[in-house]
Amino acid sequence: MTALAAPSDAVLVRRVLAGEVEAYAGLVARYRDRFGRFATQMLGSQEDAEEALQDAFVRGYRALGRCEDPDRFGSWLFRILVNRCRTHGAKRARRERTIVLDEIALKSAGVDGGAEAAAWREAIEWALGKLDEAQREAFLLKYVEDLSYEEMAELTGVGVSALKMRVKRACDRLRVMLREVERV
Amino acid sequence: MRYSMRWLAGVVLLVGAPLGAQDARLEQRLDAATAARVGAIVDSARAAGLPTRPLTSKALEGASKGAPGARIIAAVSRLAQGLRSARDVLGPSTDAELDAAASALMLGVRAEEVAAVRGARSGERLTVPLAVLADLVAYGVPSDAATQAVVQLAGRSEDEALLDFRRDVERDIALGAPPAAAAAVRLNSAGRLESDLTTQQIGIPPPKPRKP
Amino acid sequence: MSDDELIERAAEELRRPVRMDPAVDARVMATVHALPRLGAARGGSGWWAWLTQPLTVRFSPLGALGGAMAVLIAAVVLVPRLTPDDGPGGVAMTTALSEAELIAGSDSTHMVQFVFVAPTAHSVSLVGDFNNWEMDATPLSAGPSRSVWTVRLPLANGRHRYAFVVDDSTWAADPSAPPAAGDDFGVPSSVITVAERSS
Repeated sequence: MTALAAPSDAVLVRRVLAGEVEAYAGLVARYRDRFGRFATQMLGSQEDAEEALQDAFVRGYRALGRCEDPDRFGSWLFRILVNRCRTHGAKRARRERTIVLDEIALKSAGVDGGAEAAAWREAIEWALGKLDEAQREAFLLKYVEDLSYEEMAELTGVGVSALKMRVKRACDRLRVMLREVERV
Repeated sequence: MRYSMRWLAGVVLLVGAPLGAQDARLEQRLDAATAARVGAIVDSARAAGLPTRPLTSKALEGASKGAPGARIIAAVSRLAQGLRSARDVLGPSTDAELDAAASALMLGVRAEEVAAVRGARSGERLTVPLAVLADLVAYGVPSDAATQAVVQLAGRSEDEALLDFRRDVERDIALGAPPAAAAAVRLNSAGRLESDLTTQQIGIPPPKPRKP
Repeated sequence: MSDDELIERAAEELRRPVRMDPAVDARVMATVHALPRLGAARGGSGWWAWLTQPLTVRFSPLGALGGAMAVLIAAVVLVPRLTPDDGPGGVAMTTALSEAELIAGSDSTHMVQFVFVAPTAHSVSLVGDFNNWEMDATPLSAGPSRSVWTVRLPLANGRHRYAFVVDDSTWAADPSAPPAAGDDFGVPSSVITVAERSS
């Protein structure tokens, strides 16, 4: 098959706003996995992450006329996703936390690198799940999504100082938990 | 008398029409020899009270896919045998139930495993449990594990839960989980959901990795 | 290992790419298709009011159990992509989960919508038990950009085997739907189930 150049976010957004619904599929496919990673790590459940992700994409479609800079569609949509994750996180029932452990075990069953790598992954996800939501969000945005504090402030509406404190506390807690696991 | 003869003629015409329609489809799409052999299998199945639609569909599928006549005949014959075996296990059943059970048997599920599913839903509709069983095995879940899961869920859950279970297992397999593990983990989750675990069980420490 | 190295090691693990279920795409597009087109809706207080309405988003394929003519979405996504990070327009394939299953409340037929995303296709047909496996019987319709192909048809209770044919020559099963049992004649097919609700 012939390789074709992929249209930019701005091109796809303009086509969608012109009534070409199908062009939105390109944006969804482009951001699904990356945004899904954040949602999964925030919510601790692939199923919840998919729900939040789908919700965010649909809201993004409905609000697309308010995306002021189509070249930065990704950042704009990511803000919607962060808010969706907060809403979904607040609704999660107790039972879902137990399913998280099973899902981790399930994913570990197929992980390359063997039992040790799988156990390390499981430990990280367990520790991440132990953080409060605000610290987990801040840690993921800083260390996994690699955003600057200014970008994080714009995204979350939280001040830079508060964000730095959340990241520091998240790191402190993660360190303690991961050291505890490492020691055994 | 004239009225009775007209009525009889109408009945004969009515019964004759579907037979004619099936034969016409097979004759139009298959070579004469293959159509004749397939027609014989279909007639035999009909006489035995088995559903014939899946058999005709299988032949038409083969025709569309350009399969040679011998292969089409073999496929239809195997499916007819599968339907017969399904009826032997299930007894009187709907066409959909027989079709689903035949799929399961043809995928390697044993007769006693299909019977176990029937036993889990005594007197109730079996199409969805049997379909889920077949689908799980088609996805690579060993038949004993699939049967155990379906029997447990069918006995205590509505069909919606069975389909949710199947979808979850399929998704996990698509994302790289071994099929048997996927089914076991999801079944375990379903069981733990039902037992309504308390908060105290959330803080289960992680397994301990060896030092890097 | 220092504290900073420990955190960095954890972050590195978390940065690994995650593969989400490609069904997300199809479910989003199915919902989006049901909304008013953005180009037609712009301007005026009516548009603003519509846009700011709370949205109930439901993705359960069983969400329409109540009606005798429930409409469900079955989705196969065939999205050629250039690299794993690019959107449609490239060459590789992703597929979405088919969720075209319905538990019927009666013996009536039920409308099922099939969605197929194939930006470079010239034609897409649905072929299966319900149309005698005739290649031309059930063509899908493409949207304006010819990326998303759809068709709706009534299906009776039972198991239905099917496949898609792209450009009159390329057969495509739904890899995320259960494969149909039995001989597939070298060309895989998929199966959906429409069944009565259990009592």
